[in-house]
Amino acid sequence: MTAAGSNSPVLSTQALVAGYERDLPIVRGVDFSVQTGDFVVLLGPNGAGKSTLVKTIAGLVPVHSGTVLLGGADITAMPSHEKIRHGLAFVPQTENIFATLTIHENLQIAANVLPKERRNDRIGALYAMFPDLGSRPSHRAGQLSGGQRQMLAVARALVVEPSVLILDEPSAGLSPKIVSEVFDRIAAINDAGVTTVLVEQNVKAALAIADRAVILVEGLVAHEGVASQLADDPIVAELYLGVRHTKNPVSS
Amino acid sequence: MNPQALMDGLITGSMIGLGAIGVTLTYSILRFANFAHGEFVAWGAYLALVVSGALGYLSGSLLTPIGPFSFGWSLPMAAVIAAALTAGLALLVDAVLFGPLRERRSAVIILVMASFGAALTLRNLLEFIFTSQPAYYTKALQIAFPLGGGLRATPDQLLTLGVAAVLVASVHILLTRTAIGRSMRAVSENQQLSGVVGIDVRKVIRMVWMLGAGLACIAGVMAGLLVQIRPQMGLDLLLPLFAAAILGGIGSVPGAMLAGLIVGLAEALAVQLIGAEWRSAIAFVILVMILLLRPQGLFGRPE
Repeated sequence: MTAAGSNSPVLSTQALVAGYERDLPIVRGVDFSVQTGDFVVLLGPNGAGKSTLVKTIAGLVPVHSGTVLLGGADITAMPSHEKIRHGLAFVPQTENIFATLTIHENLQIAANVLPKERRNDRIGALYAMFPDLGSRPSHRAGQLSGGQRQMLAVARALVVEPSVLILDEPSAGLSPKIVSEVFDRIAAINDAGVTTVLVEQNVKAALAIADRAVILVEGLVAHEGVASQLADDPIVAELYLGVRHTKNPVSS
Repeated sequence: MNPQALMDGLITGSMIGLGAIGVTLTYSILRFANFAHGEFVAWGAYLALVVSGALGYLSGSLLTPIGPFSFGWSLPMAAVIAAALTAGLALLVDAVLFGPLRERRSAVIILVMASFGAALTLRNLLEFIFTSQPAYYTKALQIAFPLGGGLRATPDQLLTLGVAAVLVASVHILLTRTAIGRSMRAVSENQQLSGVVGIDVRKVIRMVWMLGAGLACIAGVMAGLLVQIRPQMGLDLLLPLFAAAILGGIGSVPGAMLAGLIVGLAEALAVQLIGAEWRSAIAFVILVMILLLRPQGLFGRPE
């Protein structure tokens, strides 16, 4: 985990309203910012708008109003395929790899946004970082286990050396042991300097590795603060996260 | 049974296969059955006729037959130009019709119905411009020479088989060994994820239209060279094209070609075994059987 970097946010949203239907916004005016090098976890109950918020930032959900800024530049209306070129990498929760393509082809596709002379070096560096993938580059991605798929999805996102990495529930559907490995890997990526935004249902594990936590409720930011403090805040845990705090039970 | 049916089936099948590649690519990426695809076959054939005529008018020497073939250099040159023009026509249809429907997130049935409308418009436009009388690239007669085993073929027929083989191999290499090919396969699997990883999905869709229409044009030129050119030729090929695309497995280029050959051979055998009047029904029978028994086709993945 790294400490927050400079004061200027690398990623921010201002009064962001978004949703699939014009008259039914899911994100209802979110102001949210992430400092360079920060590790922010987005928490909240089901239906709070966490995934919709990060999908909106990634360009996958229509924005009704408000702005998304990346490095100070307005990327609100930018199509998703352009955002990766500006350093914003997104790992969706499901279907986040091309199952019919090989591991190598998955990485090659991501590397297409890089200059030609850098592509092979970058893929080689990722194989070194994820040796489990590097040992079988011609393996069809659809035949990988759940954990390996998540690693491939993360590796694919890292190909472009993003300034911001957004992950939408990478622990979904994984066994606790694999979740632990995935989280360790994500923490290491953040330690290497990649600003990280994580949407997660696994509250305790997420708060343990993040710097800051932002809690969304009904499409709005309900609470935010230092992750370690929120982890010990029984009221936040009880009211917003659905976690019963064992050390200091919340009294009514 | 006359072994010549084998050669006839392979030749017909190679034309069906080329057309089916376009169907399978557009189907897998745009996610709807484009019933106007057959019209690209017909338009390609007519565009090549016009360009070939114009080239022959400009330089008579281009009409002199090349070696053993029945046509001069004007036809291969016209085929290349016509393929580009047919690709342009496909882009125009997409820009005017399918693109706006996609933007509105129209249901698949709306896109399919729109393709029916486009097919009718394109076919009637051809008939209006060229009349329903058949046309020919060349009226030179060719003698089929024996190949052994009771098979005979004209040089034109053998050339079309060779061209089809080269084109299928080229498209397969394009899809499996190049960046744009990988992008096409990625978009075919997951359009949203493709955008996230940096693929310009609109550009890929344009490439697919151009590739599919270009191949349809070449199939049309082959059909026009070996049989005749008619405004209805696209409609006649439509059912075999879809039968081959589905039999091969949606998205599979080698599958579409192999299935095209199977459909062509089945049609030729039907002519021999049960009568020429049943030829058109064979593609329909294959289509129904494959949908009932193995809907993912020979090389497709089950949903």
